[in-house]
Amino acid sequence: MTGAELKSPEDLLKERFGRVEKAIELGEPDRVPLIIFTCGDILRKYAKGYELYFNYDRAREVSVRFATEYPVDVFLAALAAEGFIFALAFSDYPDIAPSVRFWTGPMHDALGDKYTRWPGRELPEDSIFQFIGGQFMEAKEYCKLSDDPITFLNEVILPRSCLNLEKPSSEKANVALIRLGVEVSRYLKFLGDSAADLAKVGVPSLPLTFAYAPLDFIGDFLRYPTGALLDVRRHPDDVKRACEALVEPILKVALSLKPAGAKYAFIPLHLNEYLSPKLYNEFYWPTLKKIIVALYEQGIKSLVFFEGWHDPHLETILELPRGWGIAYFEKTDVRKAKKILGGHTCIMGGVPPSLLLEATPDKIKGYIKDILSEVKPGGGFILSPGVADIPMPVPPENLRALIDAVEEYGRY
Amino acid sequence: MSLADLIDAFVNLDENRVLGIVEKLLREGTDPSEILEACRKATTIIGERFERGEYFLSELVFASEIFNSVMRVVLPELKRETKPLGTIVLGTVQGDIHDIGKNIFKAFAEAAGFKVIDLGVDVPPERFVDAVRTHNPDIVGMSGLLTISYESMKKTVNALKEAGLRDRVRVIVGGGRMDEHVKRYVGADEWADNAMLGIRKCKEMLGLGG
Repeated sequence: MTGAELKSPEDLLKERFGRVEKAIELGEPDRVPLIIFTCGDILRKYAKGYELYFNYDRAREVSVRFATEYPVDVFLAALAAEGFIFALAFSDYPDIAPSVRFWTGPMHDALGDKYTRWPGRELPEDSIFQFIGGQFMEAKEYCKLSDDPITFLNEVILPRSCLNLEKPSSEKANVALIRLGVEVSRYLKFLGDSAADLAKVGVPSLPLTFAYAPLDFIGDFLRYPTGALLDVRRHPDDVKRACEALVEPILKVALSLKPAGAKYAFIPLHLNEYLSPKLYNEFYWPTLKKIIVALYEQGIKSLVFFEGWHDPHLETILELPRGWGIAYFEKTDVRKAKKILGGHTCIMGGVPPSLLLEATPDKIKGYIKDILSEVKPGGGFILSPGVADIPMPVPPENLRALIDAVEEYGRY
Repeated sequence: MSLADLIDAFVNLDENRVLGIVEKLLREGTDPSEILEACRKATTIIGERFERGEYFLSELVFASEIFNSVMRVVLPELKRETKPLGTIVLGTVQGDIHDIGKNIFKAFAEAAGFKVIDLGVDVPPERFVDAVRTHNPDIVGMSGLLTISYESMKKTVNALKEAGLRDRVRVIVGGGRMDEHVKRYVGADEWADNAMLGIRKCKEMLGLGG
């Protein structure tokens, strides 16, 4: 028992968010914060995958149910797929760009995009949405992308990558954009309502904006990840130039939410673990670093999800200004990361989702006790399972063990 | 231009040189199976470099691209099939449609001398069962990227059990988020979170020494 039930939701919000902020500022809060992030897998406990992405009322209901049953310091439910190409294509319009950053099921229906697959559409009803990407640009088109990214994305890539935008200015394409606009306003209402629901039970959300690593943008939306990796070898100069050209529009998207109060820019990385230090430092890191630093200078800290195994590149993080943001690790051992980055970078992660799936509550508590004994001292640490989600079959007692363990062993 | 040059060019991922040498060797009448053997040696060295941390996933992606290009030229010339090390039925499990990891594994497994029956992505348990009945493989390889794949992998192992086939095959799960916990949850014999580890474990499971 934490005594949490005796506090008002307002007090809980303040306490929990303050705890997270303190850790981000590299300090020691009253205890290590716990953040849970889901794209829907764990929420399938309460609703079919299909409902999570196509029925905003159901999605609200199950998000708040989860947050009530398993209260944590921040709960992030991203029930929408990666649609950064739209944000980038419309980056000159700050009132529109951030709103089309993510796609829900009905937006996928409106656009007929080829990037994503959805339960009840291309996937079984109880699955989760999946981003698959694709190859929509030829290698010889890099120069067009670099010369004028916005025009190229709007005029060439969107018609190729969205079935309903195939013929620009056609009735079908115009209707698709109107439908998208209608869905966007429903989705924005859902986001607002959802955050309010969570606040009512004392669970904060993070005021987020979004950015992207330029080479990941090329891999995810234009050339497919393996295509981008082959381009790095076959067309190195073209790739470098395109990455540079994408920095400015990506920053525009990220900064468009600053007036609305965004404080953290979420940047999920993909190709980081594919690249050798040599290639990472030549093709990937320079433009990503530029983006993180520029946002930091504008008062926005980045929440970077270093997907997979980031060990070979850990030291490069030290090139960023102290307190630049949060390094969210997946397979990189947070103990090792803390040794290298402690006092410079807030570190997040530490709980493999598979542990929650398979271990007993006692084992989970023991694991968290051990890990916290090493990473807690000195602060600047947030405990979290990976962005890879929490699998639906995780037993309730294991989720409680996670929450109890941070309460028991996370106190400063 | 010799087989040794081919191995050298392949290990250094010099795509154009590899394809040039292969073409020349074929023209000069070199036995295609010797070319394949040279590629096998090259991919083994590449795998070792990966496991030592000198090569990374992007090098494996590039090497599988080179290997597949060589296969397209050499396979039609092959007069006899060599006896495979073993047969692997491979697929990304139901509900998951990601296949980058599976495809890297497949290229390296074929290069290592395995016969691979690739069932594609979003493969339901019953298709794995049917494929085991049809192809009588030594190994079933289940691939998955997302956490939802754990459930499907478990269902597939259960379906193999119900069909009375589980004891006839070794089962390995592969993907970036696989580990000992997932192996136990699923009821698999082995796990691998990268292609090279997967191939080493497949060889070990068949008593071929890594």
